[in-house]
Amino acid sequence: MKIEMNTIRKSFGSNDVLKDVTFSVQGGEICALLGENGAGKSTLMNILGGVVRMDSGSILIDDKEVQFETPVDSLEAGIAFIHQELNLINDLPVYENMFLGREIKRKRGILDLEQMYDKTVEIFERMNVKLDPNTMVRDLDASYKQIVEICRAMMMNASIIIMDEPTTSLTETEIERVFAMMRTLQENNVGIIFISHKLNEVKEICNRYIVLRDGILVSTGNVSDVTNKDLASYMVGFDVRTESLRRNNIQEKDKEVLRVERLTDNCHFKDIHFSIHAGEIVGITGLLGDGRSELFQAIFGANSYESGKIFLEGKEVTIKDTYHAIQEGIAYLPRNRKENAIIKDMNIIENASIVTWPMFSNRGIINTTRHEQLFNEQQEALRIKMDKMTDNITSLSGGNQQKVVLSKWLAANPKVLILDNPTQGVDVGAKEDIYDIILKLAEENIAIIVLSSEAQEIIRVCDRALVMYHGVIKGEVRDEMMNEQIIMSLATGGELGEEKGVYQQ
Amino acid sequence: MIPNKKENYDDINPLKKSFTKWFKNKWSNDPLFSILIALIIMVVLQTLTLGFDFNSFGEWFQAWTSNWINILRNNAGVGIVALGMTFVIMTGGIDLSVGSTLVVTGAFAMYLLDTGTQGILGMVGITGAPAILLTIVLVLAFGYALGALIGISITKGMVPPFIATLGAMMIFRSVTQHFTQGYNTTVPIEFLQISSFKIGNLMIMPIIYWAIIAAILYYVSKRTTFGRQIIAVGSNERAAKLSGVNVNKVKLRVYALMGLLVSIAAIIQVSRIGSMDFSNAGRGMEMDAIAAAVVGGTNMLGGRGYILGTVYGMLIIAVMNNLLNLFGVPPFLREAFKGVIVIVAVLLQRKEKTA
Repeated sequence: MKIEMNTIRKSFGSNDVLKDVTFSVQGGEICALLGENGAGKSTLMNILGGVVRMDSGSILIDDKEVQFETPVDSLEAGIAFIHQELNLINDLPVYENMFLGREIKRKRGILDLEQMYDKTVEIFERMNVKLDPNTMVRDLDASYKQIVEICRAMMMNASIIIMDEPTTSLTETEIERVFAMMRTLQENNVGIIFISHKLNEVKEICNRYIVLRDGILVSTGNVSDVTNKDLASYMVGFDVRTESLRRNNIQEKDKEVLRVERLTDNCHFKDIHFSIHAGEIVGITGLLGDGRSELFQAIFGANSYESGKIFLEGKEVTIKDTYHAIQEGIAYLPRNRKENAIIKDMNIIENASIVTWPMFSNRGIINTTRHEQLFNEQQEALRIKMDKMTDNITSLSGGNQQKVVLSKWLAANPKVLILDNPTQGVDVGAKEDIYDIILKLAEENIAIIVLSSEAQEIIRVCDRALVMYHGVIKGEVRDEMMNEQIIMSLATGGELGEEKGVYQQ
Repeated sequence: MIPNKKENYDDINPLKKSFTKWFKNKWSNDPLFSILIALIIMVVLQTLTLGFDFNSFGEWFQAWTSNWINILRNNAGVGIVALGMTFVIMTGGIDLSVGSTLVVTGAFAMYLLDTGTQGILGMVGITGAPAILLTIVLVLAFGYALGALIGISITKGMVPPFIATLGAMMIFRSVTQHFTQGYNTTVPIEFLQISSFKIGNLMIMPIIYWAIIAAILYYVSKRTTFGRQIIAVGSNERAAKLSGVNVNKVKLRVYALMGLLVSIAAIIQVSRIGSMDFSNAGRGMEMDAIAAAVVGGTNMLGGRGYILGTVYGMLIIAVMNNLLNLFGVPPFLREAFKGVIVIVAVLLQRKEKTA
């Protein structure tokens, strides 16, 4: 099967989202759809999935023009859209999920569970999936949820599957499992449109690519003909800086700011030791489930810990709650901005000043002028692109939202700044801005801890890195030992010998 | 190019253009604007219903004001409770216990003051003005404590607000009814002055209390750390916690404030009537308060809420009650109208959001 989308146009109000985009996909192809946030990827796919209607243009399937009014039309034409938020019901077993909305019924509307079960077994066998159809969906890991969705699409005889960032919340092994599934689909002559931000994955699995920028198709071709750097520059429209930002001549810092001894909680981390000095940038990395977020949330007072000691500037402290942590000079920028940091019912300036309300207030009355003054300065320093301070926070792009969140922590004048996935959901330009800010803050003698699962990011900005695996620190790397191979090896539980620069804990 | 006729007309009428522009802008940006318009429509309707069949303007004006004072005074108690309810709902919670807290604090006030044989203060020899002042302080403290108790069960005990306050609703009223069986207390006449003191021959004290409390809470919601933290907690509890907001403390204070406001309503009610029907007083008060908050634009899911909106909402409901009364709608049917208003209000807000 071949799908062609010709000169697709779509605008929302005065905002042209897609300007004459033309591309095609055929069976047996895995085609990457790349672009920054707001480039028009989702709109294009929503048009193909029948969720959004185009203003002009045409869609051809095997050279016959089709009209998609609803998602059902698109599905019946053989196009399945697997959204980032999976459409599975946790409280039902796998085989009932397979037939969600199109259950097989006997007369009088009674579900034919046996037949549904048998058909699920059949499709799993065909797709080479080893999974018990009786498992409850809530007990599946994220990769198997993806696989169930893919099998469901296959059961509906989909010949083109759209996958919207399927790997974002998966671990390395889970990603491999999904990729294996994708290769099976490819052999079965199914076409896949793969939306992703991870260029390494694109190189690994895709044969073709399409790059959208500001609603225009800027580049398309074979993945084997381009480098990651090429793809990145197509996406942003200029050459992306990729050189290391790591500082070379860092003199030994002697002022210890944060030290942790034998910190343990029941399940997420155990026996953690480390010490961080003023002006240092330390990376903490590992795979999903390594416990690094939980560890630093405990240090920040948001979670509890069983035993162990925390020292700030040599003095032992017991952090009671998050406000206490802030008063002691600890700041924590959480991961998953939307869930953990953005307060959507408040405007920009309120989101930027929530941390310091109690500190600047006079008998509980908010010192609006001081907050506004401070934010004006920071807006310039952090290069936040925005209109009015009183606009809603959700009107900003991801990168600017993240900078507003960062500004609320800088207002509190922290000694230790913990940044958990600081560049998550942020476009390439803002990402570089954030790295610059991190380096600048380190110059101002703040101790900075960067938590990230992207080894590349750690290697580019951090002075040294601690690698975690299943709640323990597996090792510390610095200098030439700080490379992807060693980090990966430690992060997957490997042990390293006596090489120079690697210290075993 | 041929100019569009309508545009052309607007061009030569800058006044009209700027008004429609202002109106459209207000309508889409000011969440309270549509509520205010609804209130104005209700007031116009109410004025028309009153009619103009009077000898002079002065006579009409007197009838109009006295009708208004009646409406406002009758709703001052619920109006005050609705303000607290707004904060509670803004944190993402709910308080079903307000009607029962009203009778338990009301009964407490009456037993403190009783001029007969039951008066607690009288027994220890405190009478007159000190007794009244002490009663006010103790009743407010009692209301605050009851609210705090509910707050603790919600925060520390992690009982969902709906359940915690449903339980409190049953406990408070049942206990009050049990201990007040067969007793008849009388409140000293001086205490009645709290509500019935006349300013320029007008009995408007409850209205003044309502206005003052609304003004204070408006300021609290807009300008204080506590007020803004309520929004943060209701909008995104996790983000609030990770920004150093003591979520439990904020919630606890909100429920305690609710209890305090209910005890003020109880004092107003006891001092207006001189007694309280412990089995019926405050029944359905929680629903009226929730309705006022919701009509006033408060989001039941937490986060968004407006003190001023709740005042408007309360007035809309109050004027409607009055209208239904004037139209002679049978009492049993009036609740149905209230229900329709609440649902319509929420429907309108939905539309506003998606537009």
